[in-house]
Amino acid sequence: MHSGIYDTVSGWVQPNSRVLDLGAGDGAFLERLVKTRSILGEGVEKNAVLAARCVQRGLVVHQGDIADGLDQYGDGTFEFVLLLGTFQELISPAEIFREAFRVGRKLIVAYANFCHIRVRLQVLFSGRTPVTNSLPTAWHETPNLHFLSILDFQEFCRASKYREIDRAFFNANGPVRYLPNLRAEEAVSLLQSERLSHHNAPGERSKTEIK
Amino acid sequence: MIALNSRIFQGDLQDQDHSDHQSPLGVTRTETVTLSGIRTQSGFTFEQVEVNYQTLGTLSPARDNAILVCHALSGDAHVAGLHPETGRPGWWDFHVGPGKAVDTDNFFVVCANVLGGCSGTTGPASNHPGSGRRYGMNFPELTVRDMVHVQVKLIDHLGISQLFAVIGGSMGGMQALVWATDLPERVKLCLPIATCISHSAMQIGFNEIGRRAIITDPNWNGGDYPLDRRPRHGLAVARMVGHVTYLSEYAMTHKFGRQRSERKSDNALPVFSVESYLHHQGRSFVKRFDPNSYLYLTRAVDQFDLFENGTSETILSRVKARFLVISFASDWLYPPAQSRELVRKLKRANISVTYVNLDTPYGHDSFLIENPAFSDIVSHFLGNENRQGAFIKNDELEAAVV
Repeated sequence: MHSGIYDTVSGWVQPNSRVLDLGAGDGAFLERLVKTRSILGEGVEKNAVLAARCVQRGLVVHQGDIADGLDQYGDGTFEFVLLLGTFQELISPAEIFREAFRVGRKLIVAYANFCHIRVRLQVLFSGRTPVTNSLPTAWHETPNLHFLSILDFQEFCRASKYREIDRAFFNANGPVRYLPNLRAEEAVSLLQSERLSHHNAPGERSKTEIK
Repeated sequence: MIALNSRIFQGDLQDQDHSDHQSPLGVTRTETVTLSGIRTQSGFTFEQVEVNYQTLGTLSPARDNAILVCHALSGDAHVAGLHPETGRPGWWDFHVGPGKAVDTDNFFVVCANVLGGCSGTTGPASNHPGSGRRYGMNFPELTVRDMVHVQVKLIDHLGISQLFAVIGGSMGGMQALVWATDLPERVKLCLPIATCISHSAMQIGFNEIGRRAIITDPNWNGGDYPLDRRPRHGLAVARMVGHVTYLSEYAMTHKFGRQRSERKSDNALPVFSVESYLHHQGRSFVKRFDPNSYLYLTRAVDQFDLFENGTSETILSRVKARFLVISFASDWLYPPAQSRELVRKLKRANISVTYVNLDTPYGHDSFLIENPAFSDIVSHFLGNENRQGAFIKNDELEAAVV
């Protein structure tokens, strides 16, 4: 992923907040947030070897898939839930979003733009499924299940009543300000739920109830 | 998949050929202390209890580096190093020692045979101090909390007010959980491995098969048997059943497959290697284990319920320790789902928990065998304690949520 995405997310995450990193990998970014933003962070990571690296960094990690990881936590446990780079790999993104907004107040999602100009040109001229910097694997090897553009993502959020508080776009040259759906390879988005009744199952302790 | 070597196929260290096993600790010894004033959960008071225990490493001047290792059903105090008489390595020699997962260069390790056991601590095979006769089935009802109660007295005796960590697998994991919930001020880190909040019907079922085998052995005689006429056959069958539940289909296929043994069965038909192996396990276990003790310990783990004294929410709200919970994907006796149930309850009580489900294919015994992935995680978790800011402290969690 573009390093600008990590810098952007780092800026969005408030110091001393509680953060859950879904698909934490080896924990490098979570450790950075712990050190530079003094957050209280936890990770969810499916791969045992990567989860072990998180433990080595002194991080709290739950080894399991994202749905299983989210299921461990009570309502409103986190200020921020991070979903960086794995959005297009989720079998059921809508369900994961619902769960993420149950355990957290804000969701930060980074994803690849499948309608970048190079992708469009490859489809048009080569007649083959594109392979680019941000989509480096061939169709038969890619972990990506969903192929979406920035416009698709924004439409998905609007329809699901998630408000985009902030966003940023990147390509190999750095931040992209104009025509992101054509020029950006990667996008990151800070979301808040507009729904009111989505969490707090009866009897569950939650931040909103306590405050 | 983790790289595995041939030693892993030999299984745990207690009942195998160990002539080539080297321990960096060399010969290690156990000691026995007599404690008084032990009252069981059922209300029985022992005039005195002998506790056999082993310590390894050095207690720091601040007395803050003690790790209590809790053994499982068939374990004992001899946790690591070589036994002075038999030369047998301790049951967790793979994971306890200098530079190992539980590093005796940094930590003061304590392991004690449990109350009700038969390896030096007072149990059904011990003599009742008054009558001079063995307790047998007159030994009082025993629980996992009783075992922990005795450990607490031992830790008091050693002058340790707070354990740096308590770690154990299976029945040992239950003890670790009791420490963290019943004695929250006295545990910093809790590492329950391949364990559960309470036994399922399947786990109780397997234990009951073992118990029936013992008590239907004519030699059992209501628990009153002379030492030379113990219900050996019953205990051996109990161990054979138990042993199968500790392995996995994968481990058994790779270790035995359909290989034949050289021996012949009673009706002269060929015998599979797995049969000879289980017979060997049974015979070897009978030499070192008391049948009545087996009855008491299996009853204790079957009766165990971490939350028997209240709701999980109230009980867990007191907990101060931070957790590393480990399960094994191939463990069908204490399946990962049971560990996850524990993790979920802990997390929802805002306790800091790291959970890993290791892909080790050797079943429940995975925690007893050489296992680099397991060693790695445990040593990192224990070693990272003093890294600043990395871990979430439970009180900070509480502050962040409330």
